[in-house]
Amino acid sequence: MTAAATRAGAALRPGLPPLLACLGLLACWQALAHLLTTGGMPDAVATFRELPAILGDQEALGDILDSLRRMALGFAIAVALSVPLGLAMGRSRLVASLVNPLLMVSYPVPKAALMPIIMLWLGVGDASKLLVIVLGASLPVIYHAYQGARAVEEKMIWSARAMGMSGASRLLRIVLPAALPEILVGCRTGIVLSLITMVTSEMIARQTGAGNILFNALDMAQYETVYAMILVIGALGIVLDVAFERARAALVGWSDEPDAIGVTAA
Amino acid sequence: MAQAALIDPSHPPEQSTAPRPAAVEIAGVTKTFQRRTGGTHLALAPIDLAVADGEFVSILGPSGCGKSTLLYIVGGFVPPSTGAVTVGGRPVTGPGPDRGPVFQEFALFPWKTVLGNVAYGPRQAGASKADAETKARGLLARVGLSAYETFYPKELSGGMKQRVAIARTLAYDPAILLMDEPFGALDAHTRLKLQNDLLALWERDRKTVLFVTHAVDEAVYLSDRIVVMSRQPGRIKEIVPVDLPRPRHRDELLLDARYQRYVIDIERLIEDPPEEAGA
Repeated sequence: MTAAATRAGAALRPGLPPLLACLGLLACWQALAHLLTTGGMPDAVATFRELPAILGDQEALGDILDSLRRMALGFAIAVALSVPLGLAMGRSRLVASLVNPLLMVSYPVPKAALMPIIMLWLGVGDASKLLVIVLGASLPVIYHAYQGARAVEEKMIWSARAMGMSGASRLLRIVLPAALPEILVGCRTGIVLSLITMVTSEMIARQTGAGNILFNALDMAQYETVYAMILVIGALGIVLDVAFERARAALVGWSDEPDAIGVTAA
Repeated sequence: MAQAALIDPSHPPEQSTAPRPAAVEIAGVTKTFQRRTGGTHLALAPIDLAVADGEFVSILGPSGCGKSTLLYIVGGFVPPSTGAVTVGGRPVTGPGPDRGPVFQEFALFPWKTVLGNVAYGPRQAGASKADAETKARGLLARVGLSAYETFYPKELSGGMKQRVAIARTLAYDPAILLMDEPFGALDAHTRLKLQNDLLALWERDRKTVLFVTHAVDEAVYLSDRIVVMSRQPGRIKEIVPVDLPRPRHRDELLLDARYQRYVIDIERLIEDPPEEAGA
């Protein structure tokens, strides 16, 4: 930030610029809706009026909670599998050279595009959606755990070895905590990706969920509901990200690594 | 080569320490690295060195002479290509709590507080949390950091980090300290202060110390003997016993002609080009 920008920023209260940005976006939305005059773009006011109807509806709330449950479970499974794999890759060249090509091949594949195939195996229920969420959230967690484990200072590990610590407990008690700041950077991206794959999986296999409401409304040309659901999902993303940042600061406050910007193209 | 008055090659330094048992024996140790471009690089020519129990020995030489590699081999962190190291009569096959390293990079555990770092070794050795912390507090008092036990490493200056690292190593009571340019990353003032503190600590415990450095004055101030190495390949050029009274005080030493003589002579030794340069 330049000195001039800092001075201009200091004159404002910290919460004000984001608020102004949101208001500006809403104003553009409102103006566009009136200019385009198409049913496909309801105005902002109408969309916000739709929100209480969705959030007050038992069935819709149940759908949203169902989505969140799947997402949380999928993300948890992804972390539980990816962190050990990434750490093992970081500490063993053999493991890294075995797994790296697989990661490179799967990296550009949109995970939600695998949904139709997975549905052939696992049906349209929870299992398929969970698997897609796990796949979607895993890569950044594996990658960052790998980088984190690779970057652990060799002398730190030597210091633990001199104390008589064995290989397995070094991985758990030295490599894992030392790589944790980097792992959490990957988790932050993983959370956003699991939200995205969660919604997309429900678009393809419609049964329940936030994505189900959204895409059903789209089919029925209920555009206020579509836009309101986009708002709900966006808000969920923000809440999850803020909550995660709080948790991260509490977990790795000892780290002096600079905060990474969490926004990633999906 | 200018022959030094105090460096007398006709008196092998082993004689002065012969009555004491050898804590570390380095016998025919070499290290060869595979080069990326193919071929090999001989980093250490055969090294033979015996360090007596309770002796403070510095390994001094220009960068690239393999002095740190030699220390890592004694630590068991790096295997020798040929030859063997025995510590307390047992061959070294890997790291162990009988040899405590202190690194230039400090290598503290950043997720642990100062107290947690120092208590880590005793905990690893099976001490209860209370016992480990009591021990750690005692050592933090000795390095003058009692007020900082709840701090994290990132909140400390370089000098304080190295004090914590020394305390962390002393906490598991290794018989031998392996110090790898421990003060190399510190500013001149902090460096002098830590040298004084290390001497005070050492004069109390008289642990065996292998101390790698490239600073001549540091080596003369601290050591009983100085192993001067040269490079290409790394080998021992000369072993210089430092016959200065202890306890040593810097202000007295700086005025002492013998101290000055050691510094000058050893600097000359290092400046001399290796006899087999380019060979």
